[in-house]
This record gives sequence, structure tokens and C-alpha cells, in this order.
Amino acid sequence: MDILTVTNLTKKFGKFTAVNNISFSLREGEILGLLGPNGAGKTTTIDILLGVTKPTSGKITIFNLPFEENRVQILKQMNFSAAYINLPWSLKVWENLYTFARLYEVDGFKEKVQKLMKEFKLYNLKDKPTDSLSSGQLTRLYLCKAFINNPRLLLLDEPTAFLDPDVADLMRKYILKEVKTKKTSILFTSHNMAEVTEICDRVIFLNRGKIIAKDTPINLAMRIKFCRVRLFFDEKKKNAEELLRNYKYIFSLEGKEIVVETEEEKVGQLLGRLSLAKLKYSQITIEKPTLEDFFIKIAREKI
Amino acid sequence: MSIRRILAMVIRHMYLWPKSFERLMGTLGWPFLELTIWGLTMSYLQSNLMNSVSLVTVFLGGLIFWQFVTRTEVETALNFLEEVWNKNLINIFASPLTKAEFLISTVISNLIKLSFTASMLTLVSWFFYQFNILKTFGFLIPFILINLFLTGWIVSFFVIGMVLRFGYKAQELAWAITLLVQPFSCVFYPLSALPTWAQNIAKFFPTSYVFEEMRRFLYEGSINKSNLLFAFLLNLTYLIISIWFFSMMFEKAREHGRLVKLN
Repeated sequence: MDILTVTNLTKKFGKFTAVNNISFSLREGEILGLLGPNGAGKTTTIDILLGVTKPTSGKITIFNLPFEENRVQILKQMNFSAAYINLPWSLKVWENLYTFARLYEVDGFKEKVQKLMKEFKLYNLKDKPTDSLSSGQLTRLYLCKAFINNPRLLLLDEPTAFLDPDVADLMRKYILKEVKTKKTSILFTSHNMAEVTEICDRVIFLNRGKIIAKDTPINLAMRIKFCRVRLFFDEKKKNAEELLRNYKYIFSLEGKEIVVETEEEKVGQLLGRLSLAKLKYSQITIEKPTLEDFFIKIAREKI
Repeated sequence: MSIRRILAMVIRHMYLWPKSFERLMGTLGWPFLELTIWGLTMSYLQSNLMNSVSLVTVFLGGLIFWQFVTRTEVETALNFLEEVWNKNLINIFASPLTKAEFLISTVISNLIKLSFTASMLTLVSWFFYQFNILKTFGFLIPFILINLFLTGWIVSFFVIGMVLRFGYKAQELAWAITLLVQPFSCVFYPLSALPTWAQNIAKFFPTSYVFEEMRRFLYEGSINKSNLLFAFLLNLTYLIISIWFFSMMFEKAREHGRLVKLN
């Protein structure tokens, strides 16, 4: 069942088109990654879905209801967190969470807030003013606020941007648990491609406001035909460089390593050529293309 | 110490000054209005020194009641600006909160704060100046206050709309706008003290009727009910316009993506 359906969504700011006729849907219990370089239109799309920015044209249906006409009913079952937001600085952690629990009309909110504060490791900070929290603690607070109403649809715009790897991992596990147990649907943006690969079921790539790719993270990575071959030479490195240059390979030097970019099916040919020339490498690593490679290609418009 | 660096900063401010309405108002506009208000007040004082009613009563009454307009306006506008400064607008308007709920919540929190302001002003004026506002104005107080609150809210909704439209540049209006309203409200002097052109403008300000009636009550012991009713109807009309203006500016802000970028 589709929780969110976006049809021909366009947003123009004067002559600038931030979002250009995009359509996509999000199923119940699915995590959909919304990726793209800075200025691709991800945040504008999220702002439109939250109702704080008005689209120029297009249709948004959430929980099978048109968004504009059913804003209150829909937003009660939604929530969001973003790296760029703030909560009132002078309020204590629990005061902020109580405020939002009341805004979302959460029943038994005091118990809910206590439970969430424990899960997000905020309980010991509950009496601290928000402006005294570190950026990592703030990010946890925003995520805590995002889960306060058990949302059916959650929009997360770079939610783990300021978290250290350990806490970011805990957060990802919490998100995955929510999706599994409560069938929460999540629209997720991040610049951490490893994170996206780990948690997203599908990914949409935006560039200059347009969707340029839609697929699973693995399938998108496989669209990159090149892989990276890292060769470590104890001796005859110069000769190896010369051979690669003669065969017109794309390569770069990283210390004693030579990193060659080549098509996956031509790795054997490369190794054969080195062998014929009696150039022995002491270590070899073949790096398969990742979502990050796909991202970089898109950002540089080479795909 | 570098003269060139100092000059660079002086010139940097000079670049901005003539282009900035709020800074020009700060330099010229507000001082001019202050001078106008107190000039008119002094002229009135000079010609009424022999009057039997204590001028302290007239002034303290005006001063206290005017505080209800300014505090209502400033507090309501500040409630909104607090959200802007905290970058919290996106959080609250991405929640199920509606525009109407936002305005009502602002008005209620404003009334709570004002009840403290009113108590403090009443006690202080009684303790220091032996001026008992409750005894002096009695039954008239609710009729005066409702009009003053309405004016304060109207002006604040207009200010919020301006901030939504023009961003941080319009923030100074929150503090300064009542200074624009005050000369035409005839708080410390009667309508007749104004020049004719200003009297014609003052007739469109509900507060001018309220303060005229306040003085009439002090001097004559009676009021003209139709004047207070007219002030109330004017207020209601302006309230509808100010809510419409706020709503329109809010939707414009959504259209231009300003709701998430205001700070």
C-alpha cells in the first residue's frame, strides 16, 4: 500500500526551478532514500511534503488523502527531523519534548517522553537547557521529537549528520526497528552513502530538481561500469606506470600504490598484461563500485 | 591601530544607513514622533493648568492604559519573533498546528502575561502615586481594555505579516510601530490638540475614541457610549483585515519558501 504519492510535483522560485516535475511513491514500511548533490531539490521536496512550502504545481497524496485539503489530519500522523532545524534554545529538553507531544496530541505523553528520552540517551540531560547541548545531543533530541507521535510517515533530512559513528549506528538500528515493528514509512536524505546503502530499500536520485535515477542502492551502484584496482608494488613501480600509460589506462598514484580505474570485465586483461611484462605486485585490492561512486558520477554529470 | 580599517567599518555602515528604512526611522523618524507627542502634551498642559481634575490622574490613566496597547502588541509580536529567532517556525508549522490556532495561542499567552502587567501597574500606581485605577474608572475598565487589547492584537498581526513578508528587516516594527500609532491615539492630550489634518487621521484610530472617553469620564463623570461602541466596531473591522493580512502573508511566505528561511 502506498503511504505517499507524489505526482508531477514542481516548485519554482521566480525563474529558478528547484523541483522539476517529479513523481514517486513510498510504500508502507519502506525506507526511500532521496539523494542528490547540494541544490538538487531534496530539502525543497521535504519542505513541500511538510506543508511549509507551497508547490507551484503537482499533486501530493498522503495516507490516500490529498495533502492540502487534509493537512491537520495528515500531519498528526507525520513527523520529521533535519540537521538544519532548531528547537527553542532556552527551553529544557523535557519542556521541548512536552511541547511537541502536546502539539501532536500524543495520549499519555509524559510516559512516552520518558521512554523516548531513555531510548535516545537523553534522560540524564532532561533538565538541561537545549542551548547547552552538544551538536550530537541536539541531533538525538531532534530524532526523539521526530518519533514522539509514533509517525506513520517520517521525513528525515540528514538525521545523523552530527552524530559520532557509534551513536549514528544506534540511531540507524532504532530507525530500522521502528520500520520493522510499526511499519513506519521513511523518506530519508543523507550524504553518507554507506548509511543509505545500509538502510534504504530504494533510492531516488535528484539532480537540478529532476529525478535521474530510481532503483535499489545495489542496482544503482552496479550502473557504474568501472571498478578500482589497487596494486601495491615493492619494485618496478615506474615500469608499471609506463605500461599503464602505454595502454591508456586511467590511473592515479597513492604512495606505493597505483589505483587503476577499469571496467570490471577487463580486470583480467589488465592483470594479464602486467604478468606478461613480468611486473609483480605484492598486494591487490579490487574495489567494486559503490553508491558513492554513482553519486559522484551524477554530481559531475558523467552518467 | 589602523585608521583605514576603522574607516572601512564606518563606510560599511554608511553604505547601509541610507538604504535601510528601519535605521533611518531610528535616526530620524522615532525621535521626531517622540518630540511631537511630548510637544503636544506640554501645549495641552500649559492651557489646562487651572483645571480641577488632577493632571496626574489624567496622565497616569493614559500611561497605564497605553501600556496595554504596547504590551499587547510587543508581547504578541515577540511570541512570533521568538519562533523566528529559534528557527522553530518549521517545527511548529510542520506540526498539525493551524494558523488560527497559532494566533489564538499567541493571544492567550499574551493575556496571561498582561494580567501580571496589569496587576503590577495597578499596585505600583496605587502605592507610589495614590492612584487607584480600579476605583477611578470602575465599570468603564472592561470597555476600555477590550478596545485596547484589540488594537494591540491588530497591530501585532500586522507586524507579524510584515516580518513574514520582509524578514528580519521588519523586526524593529515590533517595538517601534506603537510609536506611530500613539500620536493619533491622543493618549495624553485631547483630539482637539492635534492639527486638523491629524484629527482627520485620528478619527480612524479606535484608541483616539477610547482615550477621549477616558478623559471625558474623568472631567465630566459620564461617557459617550456610542463612541466606545464605534471604537469597538472599528477594532473589529481592523481585526478582520489584520487576520486576513497575516493569512495572506503567511501563504506568500509558504509560496516563496520563506517560512523555513526566516531568521
